Amino acid sequence: MTKPHTQKKQQNSPPQQPSFLKVLQKSSLSFLAMAPLLLATIGLVGIFQILVTPKMLASLFQGDPLFDTLLGTLTGAIAVGNPIVSYLIGGELLNQGISLYAVSAFLLSWITLGFTQLPAEVEVFGGRFTLYRNILAFIFAMITAVLTTITVQVLS
Amino acid sequence: MKKQDKPFAFRGKYLLVAVLVLYGIFFLVNSGGALSALQKSSTILTKILPIFVVVILFTATLNYFIKPKQIAKHLGQKSGMKGWFWALAAGVISHGPMYAWYPLLDDLRSHGMKDEYIVVFFASRAIKIPLLPIMIDYFGLTFTIVISLYMLFGALIQGLCMQLATIKDT
Repeated sequence: MTKPHTQKKQQNSPPQQPSFLKVLQKSSLSFLAMAPLLLATIGLVGIFQILVTPKMLASLFQGDPLFDTLLGTLTGAIAVGNPIVSYLIGGELLNQGISLYAVSAFLLSWITLGFTQLPAEVEVFGGRFTLYRNILAFIFAMITAVLTTITVQVLS
Repeated sequence: MKKQDKPFAFRGKYLLVAVLVLYGIFFLVNSGGALSALQKSSTILTKILPIFVVVILFTATLNYFIKPKQIAKHLGQKSGMKGWFWALAAGVISHGPMYAWYPLLDDLRSHGMKDEYIVVFFASRAIKIPLLPIMIDYFGLTFTIVISLYMLFGALIQGLCMQLATIKDT
């Protein structure tokens, strides 16, 4: 039988540090729990890459800076893929005479916004967080695009 | 009292089923397109698998060396300027798609990471250090420096806006 003072001593001793392997196992399990969510998002990205082509996006721009900035933010949010692709499309849009406002907004929202990852973001962080974050990212993509273009124009 | 671990449960099961149904419909309407989409998805998965491994290892290392109390200290309510800096730096350094980082951020959030830091992390990801030379090549040095600086400031302001929204909601 354990003596009461020994029990107290055991209670007060610091909890044992789990081994790295155990922690790694736990982290792998939490990642595995998210596998359906990540696979679904990757699946959606695949569909979007086929249905929404860069050519299609580029054809939407009209040449009006204000409208194009809004459109740049929206199309950047819809488009999916490596950021390098956004540079390629952005460079092409500039060559076609589309304003730097629109191109900057497009580049920014390509990375910070994403319609395909919205369901996963809601599932992980909740609806309220996702709504606030995406509204902020949308507004700031446009503000940053306008400020960048004005500053670049002033500097050059 | 000892904190109980959350029971294992898959997340996003219904979303995965919905996407599979979507693929089924797509296959019926345009089988070639559906196959190409599937191929694209497999390529993306193969490309980001190493990032997933990095995220798992990073999460495990953080959990092994840093106690939840310490995470809360650096990224929680009383983290101060340090928290903003860490979120900004982590966002700039992070690589791969945004959703690859959801598991790690979810873990940090459960240990007390503030929502405004997650916003800063996501917003500062717009700066891609390895891609800066390509950006300079396409848009010029002035544009790259200006947009990068505005993105950093913008990320912090977005975080502050999120903080205000959180305070207002509570």
